[in-house]
Amino acid sequence: MSEMRKVDEVTLEIAGNLLLSIAEEMGVALIRSAYSTNIKERRDISTAVFDPKGNMVAQAEHVPMHLGSLLGIIKVVLERYGDALQPGDMFMANDPYGGGGTHLPDITIAAPVFEDGKLIGWVANLAHHSDVGGKVPGSTSGDADSIFQEGLKIPVVRVMEAGKTDLDILHFVMANSRLPDERYGDLQAQLAANRIGIRRLKEAYARFGDDLVDSMYALQDYAERRLRAGIAELPDGTYTFTDYMDDGGVASPDPITITVSLTIKGDSILFDFSGTHPQVEGPINVTYNGLLATVFYALKAFVDPDIPSNAGIYRVIEVKAEEGSIINCTNPAPVGARIDTCMRVADVIFGAFAQVAPDRAIAGCNSSCTTAIFSGSDPHDPSRFYVYLETIAGGAGASAANDGLSGVQVHMTNTSNLPVEALEMEYPYLEVLEYSLIPDSGGAGKTRGGLGILRRFEIKQDNILYTGLGDRQVFPPWGLNGGQHGSGGRYEIIRADGTTEHPPSKVTNVVLNKGDLVSVYTPGAGGYGPPKERDRERVLVDVIEGRVSPESAKEIYGVDVKVEAQTCTG
Amino acid sequence: MRYMIGVDVGGTFTDFSVFDSTTKKLTHYKRSSTPEDPSLAIMEGMYQILEEQDIRPEDVFYLAHGTTVATNALIQGRGAKTALVTTKGFKDLMEIGWQRRPSLYDLHKQKPQSMLALGQRYEVNERIRHDGSVKLPLDEEEVRSIAQALKRARVESVAVCTLFSFLNPVHERRIKEIILEECPEVYVTASHELIPEFREYSRMSTTVLNAFLGPVMKQYVRNFEHKVSAVGIQVAPYVTQSNGSIISISETIDCPIKTAVSGPSAGVIGAIYIGKQCETEQLITFDMGGTSADVCLIDNGEAKLSNERLIEGHPVRIPMIDIITVGAGGGSIAFIDSGGALKVGPISAGARPGPACYMLGGEDPTVTDANLILGKLNPRRILGGTMDVDRGLAEAAIRDKICANSSLTINEAANGIISVVNSNMVRAIRLISVERGYDVRTFPLMAFGGAGPLHACEVAEEMGISSVIFPSAPGTLCSLGVLMADTRFDLVRSRILEAVPESLPELQAIFQELIAEGSQLLDGEGIAQVDRTFLLSVDCRYLRQNYEINIPISAVPSESVLSKMCADFHDRHNSLYGYSDEEKPIQMVNYRVSAIGAVEKPELTEVVSEAENRELPSTKEVRDVLFCHAKEWLPTPIYDRSALLPGHVLVGPVIIEQMDSTVVVPPGWEAVVDAHLNIRTNRKRV
Repeated sequence: MSEMRKVDEVTLEIAGNLLLSIAEEMGVALIRSAYSTNIKERRDISTAVFDPKGNMVAQAEHVPMHLGSLLGIIKVVLERYGDALQPGDMFMANDPYGGGGTHLPDITIAAPVFEDGKLIGWVANLAHHSDVGGKVPGSTSGDADSIFQEGLKIPVVRVMEAGKTDLDILHFVMANSRLPDERYGDLQAQLAANRIGIRRLKEAYARFGDDLVDSMYALQDYAERRLRAGIAELPDGTYTFTDYMDDGGVASPDPITITVSLTIKGDSILFDFSGTHPQVEGPINVTYNGLLATVFYALKAFVDPDIPSNAGIYRVIEVKAEEGSIINCTNPAPVGARIDTCMRVADVIFGAFAQVAPDRAIAGCNSSCTTAIFSGSDPHDPSRFYVYLETIAGGAGASAANDGLSGVQVHMTNTSNLPVEALEMEYPYLEVLEYSLIPDSGGAGKTRGGLGILRRFEIKQDNILYTGLGDRQVFPPWGLNGGQHGSGGRYEIIRADGTTEHPPSKVTNVVLNKGDLVSVYTPGAGGYGPPKERDRERVLVDVIEGRVSPESAKEIYGVDVKVEAQTCTG
Repeated sequence: MRYMIGVDVGGTFTDFSVFDSTTKKLTHYKRSSTPEDPSLAIMEGMYQILEEQDIRPEDVFYLAHGTTVATNALIQGRGAKTALVTTKGFKDLMEIGWQRRPSLYDLHKQKPQSMLALGQRYEVNERIRHDGSVKLPLDEEEVRSIAQALKRARVESVAVCTLFSFLNPVHERRIKEIILEECPEVYVTASHELIPEFREYSRMSTTVLNAFLGPVMKQYVRNFEHKVSAVGIQVAPYVTQSNGSIISISETIDCPIKTAVSGPSAGVIGAIYIGKQCETEQLITFDMGGTSADVCLIDNGEAKLSNERLIEGHPVRIPMIDIITVGAGGGSIAFIDSGGALKVGPISAGARPGPACYMLGGEDPTVTDANLILGKLNPRRILGGTMDVDRGLAEAAIRDKICANSSLTINEAANGIISVVNSNMVRAIRLISVERGYDVRTFPLMAFGGAGPLHACEVAEEMGISSVIFPSAPGTLCSLGVLMADTRFDLVRSRILEAVPESLPELQAIFQELIAEGSQLLDGEGIAQVDRTFLLSVDCRYLRQNYEINIPISAVPSESVLSKMCADFHDRHNSLYGYSDEEKPIQMVNYRVSAIGAVEKPELTEVVSEAENRELPSTKEVRDVLFCHAKEWLPTPIYDRSALLPGHVLVGPVIIEQMDSTVVVPPGWEAVVDAHLNIRTNRKRV
């Protein structure tokens, strides 16, 4: 970029604000005009602006998992279409193995932006589509053993040429979805969001001229400088951490090793994942782009949460992962539930960072995106099939300064629950009897790990199917610097006749009947520092609030509640 | 009976607007606020007004004030010792909330402070089902023993929130009764009384915050009533609410949460009134003070309301004027960050030490310092000449903290600070306008607050807005708004019904019940029948969606009203979301009635009629000013606003100084003084 002129400190800030506003406005437009609940309610979308060379400059995202999902597509478009690009073109893809993206439901649409025949940048957006075909409704199947069971794979295709939408392509996608009308509506919304982005980027160019393009490069330099400044403060060295996932589902029942060796040298950083488990015949594999997103999330969270999300970051980091491993998987490994593995990769990176700067680290989190799915037929209208999916949060790890948060989504996701009153009105076949924090599930420590959640359902109808996706039921969230580990998760089914069952962490289609009780216990999180060093007052507060039992207070923390009570009253 | 008094209590100043209904004259007063007991400043001001204008207290027939008691109690966490009573299995709901962490990337960010006292969360055996039927009857003995525990713990306030109480309040009602039987001194809020709406976490959180505030508000209100009557004022004072209306002070005791964000809402009501003087029903309000800027969109002469927002991190589900606040004010501090970008705010130098130029020891450069250096603010004395400032200190701060860490010269840095803070405000305006589907270019900006008029035209330019209105007293729009408010009760019921004629009997019953309840509340406010309006609406959605659109209806539903509602819903869905589906069944979820009572308002007459080609007064001085994006300093005439009269036309660049603000009219803009002494500016075609 030798032709680039210097951009001053003010233009940098204003152009950064403006480009982010454009990305945000695209996001709002997409949410507003989309058809499906997944986009409108869960905001499972992401929008971004890119420089002419296809490097991301500004991103508006609601879910950290998306940080990497827009990385690949534009480079592929430039390689394939290069000089043939023209105003009014748009390109679409979802193939994690050749178009960016991290799993098939995420469809990306990108558009070049021209002014006076000159390419001034790109806009792109991604939306999680509720169904793109595959073996199960929703496309993500707990027992998929190949990506071909997870839905339609779309390579990079030109979905709009010189302003004219290629309806053949849209119909092709619709024909491969269980909900074709919804696909059509959502894809139209994605095209519309890009049109708004194009208009705004042209307006910005009219105001700033080539300064705008220069600012795009300067913003990446800026993010790079900020990240380097943060890394330079960390001590040089190599730090290693390993953790294990319980298993890879039915086809891969053994524990899965995730290991990272991070090397800090001056102001750069290397993440080496050598030694991590090979890819498995289950949907928890992660493509290289998904791994990059996870590394970026962890780095941003650990070094400087306010670093803008742009491509400058990737100049600072080097990420090594063996091809064919679970975190750099190859076609046709299934990837539908990649987020479970990404969650654990984040934990492992924080484990290594804990050796670098113990005061900034957090202990192991619930990191398992525990998902409960109930499905069945409406008794009044058997043709109507319903699926209720809930992602249940858990504990977050303790840090040197604070107890971990209880009952929160961690790392790669941050979606909301469905209120119990909304759930029961919508799905009267289920009733929630308890939604609470589990006492003693937070790892003990000088600061305590966050608590896991118990959500207990009463089944009100025969023949409901239960599917559970979870992890950290065998390998619990670890403590740090003498802190104890938090408790793992588990499922418990108490049948109407009183018998009890404990299904494994990844279980598909358990038949439930009226009167059965299903309890989902999610993992807590690790504690930090020796429990005996915990402030007595904080132990007592935990006992009073029901977070720690009087027995644990005495045995683990050495605080006898009865004695304390006597001292208080006497 | 001839005087009306409106009082607005701000963080720094307490403002008063007094209207004499005989002479139609409006006057304003200003006193320093007394945060430890806000009523002190109010009473001092009242004495001053009564004395200076020689008003007999019994001639005051209207007194309304905005109170910051609730706002401050929530910010400082200083409320009552509060307990929660809820359904078995749900005592942790306030902590779990939506299961979301408070920051995506900041691992150390904590959840909001709990408003419940330690160990004061109780569960009772009871359960209402989704259809309102009782699954498990209330265990009254258990409630009685909880009441005993509350008494022993000396709890002052109790929030009662059980599942599905919005459908069937029988258990909540009984729990409240039992607690009051056992502990008659305790303040109790039951969720179905406050917001009978579904979605348990939002309802519980609102109930808990209300209970937390109840006893504090009760004490304040009693004290205030007493003081007012001691002066000899015979009318019962009103209090402003977050929805921009006023309610009687006794009503405030039951629902203190409704006043929690009332501060900025009064300014919006004032702005709507000024908008009417300027014949516009569309506005974007731009209220910039020392630490933050509030913006709000007004369409069809009405402020947009939102039904839920976070207050100190807790969801509060109460209709409130939809105001967006950004940390961008005169005191916002500028700095160069570790990546080399110029940032402004959200940290503010506040009133102390304040901007560097205030000579109170502040060393960080602020927006005010930048305005001073650029010549927009008077470099010697501000606030109408009542406060000395030091330009040298402003320069030193910018040189040491900005220039030393960047390539910028002093002038570039000062102009950069203004550009950056303006771009922050532009983002806020975009949020409430462009991102909600409004074409912002047709909305004039109304600038008020101490710093709003300094920035408004340049912010408007960034947004493509070509018209800005400056009210005659930009610093007192809030207290004026207090004089202009109506009384209003927003009532709601939740029930899921399909929008088909078979639902009509139930639908009609719900609305008749709501209207009866509203009438009763207006009776309590002493509103005459002719002054009453009832606005009816329904929150609708397509079957199985989980978000609703509010659709106004013209009357208690009949078959035709219902079919009109459905048609409107399809239309509105189409304009908001880009599609509609006439085939899809519509569900009705919430039923709303706003019972509005018109309250007497000042009729402000024109001051002097406009005159053609009125000759301009002489300037105070001509000062060199560096405007945004300008390369050259421009000699700019400075006027005193009190010398400007209707019909005066000023061509930018020009600066107008007044007691509570400074109006900046950049080159390319033309200003006209209207008959109400508002300054209306327009951008000429460039």
